[in-house]
Amino acid sequence: MTAATGLLTSIPPYVVLAVAALAVLALPRRAGHAAAALATAFTFGQAVLLGDGGTGAHLATQLFGFDVVFFNVDQFSLLMGVVVGFLATAAVLYAYGTEAPTWVTAFALIYVSSTVGTIYAGDWLTLIFFWELMAVTSTLLVWQYGGAAVRAGYRYALFHGIGGTILLGAVVVHFAHAGTFLFSATTGIHPAATVLAAIGIGINCGFVFLHTWLPDTYPRPHVAASVFLSVFTTKTAAYVMYRAFPEGGMWLAYLGGIMAVYGAFFALLQYNPRRLLSYHIQAQLGYMLAGFGLATYVGEFAVTGGFAHLFNNVLYKSLLFMAVGVVIYRTGVEDIRDMGGLWREMPVTFIVYLVGAASITAVPGFNGFISKGMVLDSAHEVHNVTLLLDSGLLWWLLVLGGVGTFMSFIKLGYYMFFHGSATLSPKDATPFQTAGMVLAGGACVFFGVFYTQLIELMPFTELILSDEVYFKPYSQSHLTESAALLVAGFVGFFALKRPLGWLAHHMPDVDAVTYPAMFYLGRASIWGVTELWAAVDRAVMGLVGAIEWTAMNPREALGRAGVDAEIRTGIGRSVLFLTVAAGVALFVFVLS
Amino acid sequence: MTDVLLPVAIAVPLVAATLPIALGVRYDDLGWPVAAAATTALAGVAAAIVASVARGDRLSHALGGYRPPIGIELVADPLSAAVLALVAAVSLATLAFVRVAGPRGNPFYSGYLLLVGGLTGMTLTGDLFNLFVFLEIVGISTYALIAADRSGASAYASLKYLVVGTVGASLYLLGVGYAFLATGTLNMLDMQAQLAQVGYGDPLVRASYALIVAGLGLKIAVFPIHAWQPDAYQRAPDAVTTIVAALVSTASAYALLRVSYTVFTVEFLAASDAITTTMLVVSGASILAGSVLAAMQSDLKRMFAYSSVAQFGMIVAAIALANETALLGAAVHLVGHGLIKFGLFLGVGLLAYGYGARRLEDLASVAREAPFTAGSIAVLALALVGIPPSVGFLGKWYIGVGAVETSLADGGAAGIGIAAVIFVSTLFTLSYVARLLERFYFAGVGLPGDHGEPAVADGGTSGDDTAARDETHERSSPRRVSPVEDAPTVPGVPDRVPPASLAALVAAALVAIALGFAGFGLAEWFDPFLTEVFA
Repeated sequence: MTAATGLLTSIPPYVVLAVAALAVLALPRRAGHAAAALATAFTFGQAVLLGDGGTGAHLATQLFGFDVVFFNVDQFSLLMGVVVGFLATAAVLYAYGTEAPTWVTAFALIYVSSTVGTIYAGDWLTLIFFWELMAVTSTLLVWQYGGAAVRAGYRYALFHGIGGTILLGAVVVHFAHAGTFLFSATTGIHPAATVLAAIGIGINCGFVFLHTWLPDTYPRPHVAASVFLSVFTTKTAAYVMYRAFPEGGMWLAYLGGIMAVYGAFFALLQYNPRRLLSYHIQAQLGYMLAGFGLATYVGEFAVTGGFAHLFNNVLYKSLLFMAVGVVIYRTGVEDIRDMGGLWREMPVTFIVYLVGAASITAVPGFNGFISKGMVLDSAHEVHNVTLLLDSGLLWWLLVLGGVGTFMSFIKLGYYMFFHGSATLSPKDATPFQTAGMVLAGGACVFFGVFYTQLIELMPFTELILSDEVYFKPYSQSHLTESAALLVAGFVGFFALKRPLGWLAHHMPDVDAVTYPAMFYLGRASIWGVTELWAAVDRAVMGLVGAIEWTAMNPREALGRAGVDAEIRTGIGRSVLFLTVAAGVALFVFVLS
Repeated sequence: MTDVLLPVAIAVPLVAATLPIALGVRYDDLGWPVAAAATTALAGVAAAIVASVARGDRLSHALGGYRPPIGIELVADPLSAAVLALVAAVSLATLAFVRVAGPRGNPFYSGYLLLVGGLTGMTLTGDLFNLFVFLEIVGISTYALIAADRSGASAYASLKYLVVGTVGASLYLLGVGYAFLATGTLNMLDMQAQLAQVGYGDPLVRASYALIVAGLGLKIAVFPIHAWQPDAYQRAPDAVTTIVAALVSTASAYALLRVSYTVFTVEFLAASDAITTTMLVVSGASILAGSVLAAMQSDLKRMFAYSSVAQFGMIVAAIALANETALLGAAVHLVGHGLIKFGLFLGVGLLAYGYGARRLEDLASVAREAPFTAGSIAVLALALVGIPPSVGFLGKWYIGVGAVETSLADGGAAGIGIAAVIFVSTLFTLSYVARLLERFYFAGVGLPGDHGEPAVADGGTSGDDTAARDETHERSSPRRVSPVEDAPTVPGVPDRVPPASLAALVAAALVAIALGFAGFGLAEWFDPFLTEVFA
């Protein structure tokens, strides 16, 4: 390790980011954003530089008497650091170009800081600390916008508070069994904590039925805030999922498959662009989890596929949020049916959108094509439930999700940029918005073409690029597959446009049930507690009243009980009592 | 062996007691100065004794030069020094209130000094028969003091106490006689050695303990032989109640503790489950009954009188538990409760003196009229409940912990039972204290002159309304408390009560809190005694 690397390993990037967050508030807007961009760029650069021999458990110390590692650098945390640092830089530029209030950027920076802390945590204790901090800071980022974001942010906070508590329970169970918090000491989380960890992390991953916070929250805050939000919480959750279950499991893989279909299907029904993209977060998470889930069944190839997809998703998902954000920023319209024909008015945004959509739908030449292909290849080896074309259920789920993705992005693009003539004539993206988008979009194209660079950043590089593994993304079968998906997407969208429009008004998500259920459950429990308390209060006050009356009228009380006697102890009775007491004492003490 | 401070401490009040009567032939108002001088002197001597005990000495003096075990021995160890300090402080502090509130007259002060002398003697004596003598001195002077205001009710209360108190003292004497028969000695330490030789199972020894417990139990006023005590406390003049409630039962409980542990020893208690179980059952009943009866009272003095039944139940329970922590609790509570009750009865007396308020109903918004008096009473009452940090909490806590420890050690239910009973009793204590505080601070909203609600809602025709409302108040709610005609005024203090007594009351409240912080110090102070007992 060189001296420079040694120096770098002693600076935890989240501290730099937290300081930058304060600087954003303290400095003028331009200087503050420059400081923020420098801090995120530092995070990126540090991760790149540490890739050359900087791995290890740095800043290992003791906290409350437990061994902890504050800066754990390995292949996985490094690739997260690279992409988070890179994207955060682009997002800061974008935020500057979108007139984001300094508070938004400051909250976003502190949110990025806690994300980076989670990524570089080397033990479960540090991880859960930053995990909870992420929930708090992202809630603040949502709340900052006010209005409808406040209620959504409250629901968001409830979800993540519960999820964080469950994960905390998992960590406690893990420690009780394993006796240590350190990642290095165990393979993933202890089996006893499996369910707790899966649910706790799963809430952040957007597991089906635990996902409703995603489309609920992300469309509501500032468009720049959405860019930050869309990337960090869910992707960090996928990363933590791998930390917890490095050996995967078929349950995780199939859950991923279901998420891909579910998310893509509901995305198809949306007309709010950011809400549509939010459902796709769930679908894309499905691909990553499918990759991680096959870690044992298929091997390192699947894990690499999952991580590559995670890496690429960070780039193109934020790119899409940026492009959509520009449209919303310029038009103020949040319903794609009210847009249309914008490709003439906003050519830059349109091109950027095309890059993002091509990436997420896995068009050859874009990065999504590489990583989704890896996951699909892995899933192709799963045959425990075989369906058509000699392919397993998992593969079909993922392919179906892919078709749904195609359809929904054709829909999004169609409504926003074509769909009749332009009724709006907004300006195109601002220079800094463009800068941010070009950074993210350029990376999408770069890794789609020079895919070995992507693999270089991934773990298990030698294995993937070796001759053992036949890794040829631009093989004929992959290209055919992609073309089939594309055709299916176009045909599907224009054939099903009307039924989908009908479904969009009649197909509620689970939140139609869960939110009222939670609301009335909460109400009922409050009513129950209040009424129970009132009942206790009445009973106690009644009892006190009765006792008080008895105390005030002892003779009468006795009389009602049928006893009519003097109850005061006079002199004679006192002496009698004393004699009896002495007699009893004598009897007992002597004869015992 | 020749510590002359001990006989001096007893002799000062006893000799001074003769002066008011003897000189009263010529001088009318000599009683108070004599009593003040004597109790001040006693306080000085007591301070010297405490100081020398604090240095680790065990003071001892053979009366008249006759060596124990034949002669009478006076002893001061940490326990007796602590009680002695309480006796000296309370008897001095009460005098300030006696001066203004009466009773007056030289004979009263003779009785007062006699009582103080008797209490000092009970605390310091190391001889069982001598203890009886002082017990009788205390008893007889108490009978006289209770009836000192010459009302019919107090005469009856005094007579009641006289009759049962005499029977109780006789039982104690009988018990001492049995013990003398069994061992041939009256000196406490000597008898401790002799008893071990005679054997703890000897019927004579056991009968002796039974009679002593019954006799002292009456003096302590344990349920169901407490009936004299509420009458005596309620009917006695306020100043007399203050000293009697603080010290007389305390001295008797001290005597029971001393006899149980220094004479009969832990081994004796441990040897017989039946004895301790009986005592625990009786004390448990005492704790419960005292608390319940106290919660039922409306007369303040009677309420705190019953509360004493409960609190001394706890001390007797701690004695019967024969556990080191519980015994520490008993010692702390003995002194702490004495201090708290002194303050409470003094405060009640002050309210009666300045505002003519004796019952809960009379106390509406008294905290506004007399903030310092009410505040001090509130603090002391919360200490009685056992709210930390207060000395009342410490005593109860140690007793409770000791009770649980006992149960954990022997697996019996008695300890847990006592702990549960203490908890329930605390709730009852809280209930009557809360009633008191409610009266002090919250009752009387809307009474005439109250700031909370404007008496006149709007001008014009409101005259009738106000009159009607006043009428309603007179029927349904208590009248607002107001000072009596010649209540004293103190510059700078809204309370219309005698200043010196008020100072004593505030001091008592502060000391009760301060001692609450001194838990470690108290444990340290009683440690020599406890190690000796549990050696």
